[in-house]
Amino acid sequence: MQLKNVIESPCGLRYMLDELDLQSGFARRWLLDSPMMTTGSEIAAAYDELRRFVTFVEQTDKSRIDTLLFKLQGLKDIRTTITNLHHGAVLDDIELFEVKHLAILATDVSRLLAQHSMADVVEIPDLEEVITILDPDGMKIATFYIYDSYCAQLKDLRAHMRQHPEQQDDLLLQASVLEEGVRKDLSRQLQPFAVAIEQAQLALARIDVNLAKAMQMRQMELCFPSLSYKGDCRYKAMFHPQVKAALAVHGKQFQPVDIILGHQPTLITGANMGGKTVVLKTLTLCQLLFQFGFGIPAASAHIAVRDEIYFCIGDEQSVEKGLSSFAAEMKNIDAVIKASRENKRILALIDEPARTTNPTEGAALVSALLKVLAGQNMSLVMTTHYDIEPGKSRCLRVKGFENGSMDYQLVEVQDGEVPHEALNIAQSLGIDNEWIETARALLETSNHQT
Amino acid sequence: MGLEKNTGKTETLKYVLDRLPVQTKRIAVTSIGIDGETTDQVTRTQKPEIVLREGMYFGTSETHYRQRRLLSELIDVSDEGTSLGRVVTARALTRGKILLSGPSSASSLKRWMSEMQQRFDIDLVIIDGALSRMSSASPAVSQSMILATGAAYSANINTLVSKTTHVVDLINLDLTSERNVDTLTPLEKGLWFIDKDGELHALDTATSLSRDIHFQGMDGCETLYVAGALVDGFLEKVRKNKDLKRVELVVRDFTKVFASPQQIRLFVKGGGRISVLSKSKLLAVTVNPTSPSGYVLDSDTLCGRLSEAIGLPVYDLLKDNH
Repeated sequence: MQLKNVIESPCGLRYMLDELDLQSGFARRWLLDSPMMTTGSEIAAAYDELRRFVTFVEQTDKSRIDTLLFKLQGLKDIRTTITNLHHGAVLDDIELFEVKHLAILATDVSRLLAQHSMADVVEIPDLEEVITILDPDGMKIATFYIYDSYCAQLKDLRAHMRQHPEQQDDLLLQASVLEEGVRKDLSRQLQPFAVAIEQAQLALARIDVNLAKAMQMRQMELCFPSLSYKGDCRYKAMFHPQVKAALAVHGKQFQPVDIILGHQPTLITGANMGGKTVVLKTLTLCQLLFQFGFGIPAASAHIAVRDEIYFCIGDEQSVEKGLSSFAAEMKNIDAVIKASRENKRILALIDEPARTTNPTEGAALVSALLKVLAGQNMSLVMTTHYDIEPGKSRCLRVKGFENGSMDYQLVEVQDGEVPHEALNIAQSLGIDNEWIETARALLETSNHQT
Repeated sequence: MGLEKNTGKTETLKYVLDRLPVQTKRIAVTSIGIDGETTDQVTRTQKPEIVLREGMYFGTSETHYRQRRLLSELIDVSDEGTSLGRVVTARALTRGKILLSGPSSASSLKRWMSEMQQRFDIDLVIIDGALSRMSSASPAVSQSMILATGAAYSANINTLVSKTTHVVDLINLDLTSERNVDTLTPLEKGLWFIDKDGELHALDTATSLSRDIHFQGMDGCETLYVAGALVDGFLEKVRKNKDLKRVELVVRDFTKVFASPQQIRLFVKGGGRISVLSKSKLLAVTVNPTSPSGYVLDSDTLCGRLSEAIGLPVYDLLKDNH
């Protein structure tokens, strides 16, 4: 699975990517094509690399960083050119220019990083020889044409052309034959460097991505996670950057949440508007960010590697497939159950399953789901409004509505009993009083009867 | 900018390029897209080549770069593609011919220009404008313009003069007050009005193209701002509203005015005024008295009549050259 396959996940991953200050379109493409890491060693290595970039950004003069970023803006996608070169094609002037431009860029960036003891972090192949081939006059500037010094005959012809502009068309034709010979020769000389040029291009993209991730960590106050090898996860002061930013616009603060996921399923209950869905979104986001090597939005995070991550959010309708919201949801959860039987490390986050159907059957479906999944080797977090038997699940509850304001913290409770705060919350929203009071009266009558 | 095909825009461009001081100024030339003259693309008839002088910078497509007939040094290949490949930037090392086809939208053209200024210290950018992309003539892109008109636009000298005068009048629309410029420039869409106390109000109607526009509560409205296109229907409604008879109608720039000369005339006659937030400077008008069908207008009469009508110098470059 590549980043581009999960970028539209409803957890808000796109926001993180949109906020990433990448310098080149090529780096963005490279990042989107990067596969999700599924081993602890890969992830640890990625974070070690990122850590070096964070230190580099923190300890280096801003003007130096800006120079580096400005240089990286010049990184272009020249994969077609490299493939042509690799296959022995004769490159045209534009392609030769691209190769020269990249070689100079790679050498400049390499030198800059070496000055800050960063040479060992991302290895950039040495392309000095490529530059020498494409810069016969040693001018060290990233421009290109078939220089006079490549061919004495060409030089004479051009000199003649300058003196006799009236013969230009004819002479240009003669010159073009010589120029093509030079191109053929240059392409042959460059062919052995095709692999190194490709590696340099990828290395520059990696540097661009790492710098952007490092700057994002500082800017959004993200943390480096520690790796959990036992399957449990712990987050301290976890937050959702997109929701946090949206609240900040309205002068409000995001209340961070602490959460621990053990081996048994976690059931989250709580009043409406209590941020349950945001907790699931954030957990999904953190897991994905972790497996693509980004900073984690929390004060501290201890995360386990998963093979597959499922985020089932109830209200997605699958219009193309002609499924109702209920059918789409059932299919999604069905996929989780099937995957759980394949002995994979799974994280499943399910938001209010079966919420769109009648409460009797809905509650039965949710209880049954908990039973079916509890036996499997997976980490499950589920939210619900139904009163269900929690079985072996850990139950967390959003603290809820207290003294007129919402406390989003999660507290561990012994049973899965859901809070009955819907009417109070509705009232606080200024909803029609007659409606609320009638509902309250109905509730009291039914409580008296039981 | 040519008002029609064959009005001599390329001749004008050649004339200008031949006379620019390349020794003392850094000059860059490009075109907006592959020119609106798509028939050239369909019939494959060659778009005229222009002659660049040594030292000039130019932006064209990959395809046209490969067909160049001059020696030039590549300095940039952009990420932005056009139908003829990416835009490449180069510097002419000899005099020679090139087909121009630059960035394909006003915004990418603006980006190209600012990059040229920042990276290569360019003093002047010349844009080969396109009829179908009037936006390149917008003051948001270019500071000043030269207009090419001629018998191809109309073979009737009276019609030609009045149609050209209309365009010139639009280009020369007055700038609104400095205060209005400050208030209105940030508003990129919608309809707005300023009352006599200088208060800014949004008009609920979405755009000037909407069918039902209700000018309500606009008593004492002095300035009406149209962020988008100014079209006939809207202008007529404004004109027929008794509260708005003497209003100052502000548009972004002349390229946003799509209303017909008749409607504008009626509006102005009724006491209204049209002004712009930013203005391009019209340097000159050139004419090509020969129509593609072979009909030739009298050059002196045409130049004289047009110059009198617009109050600007008018040149027939081919004639003046001889």
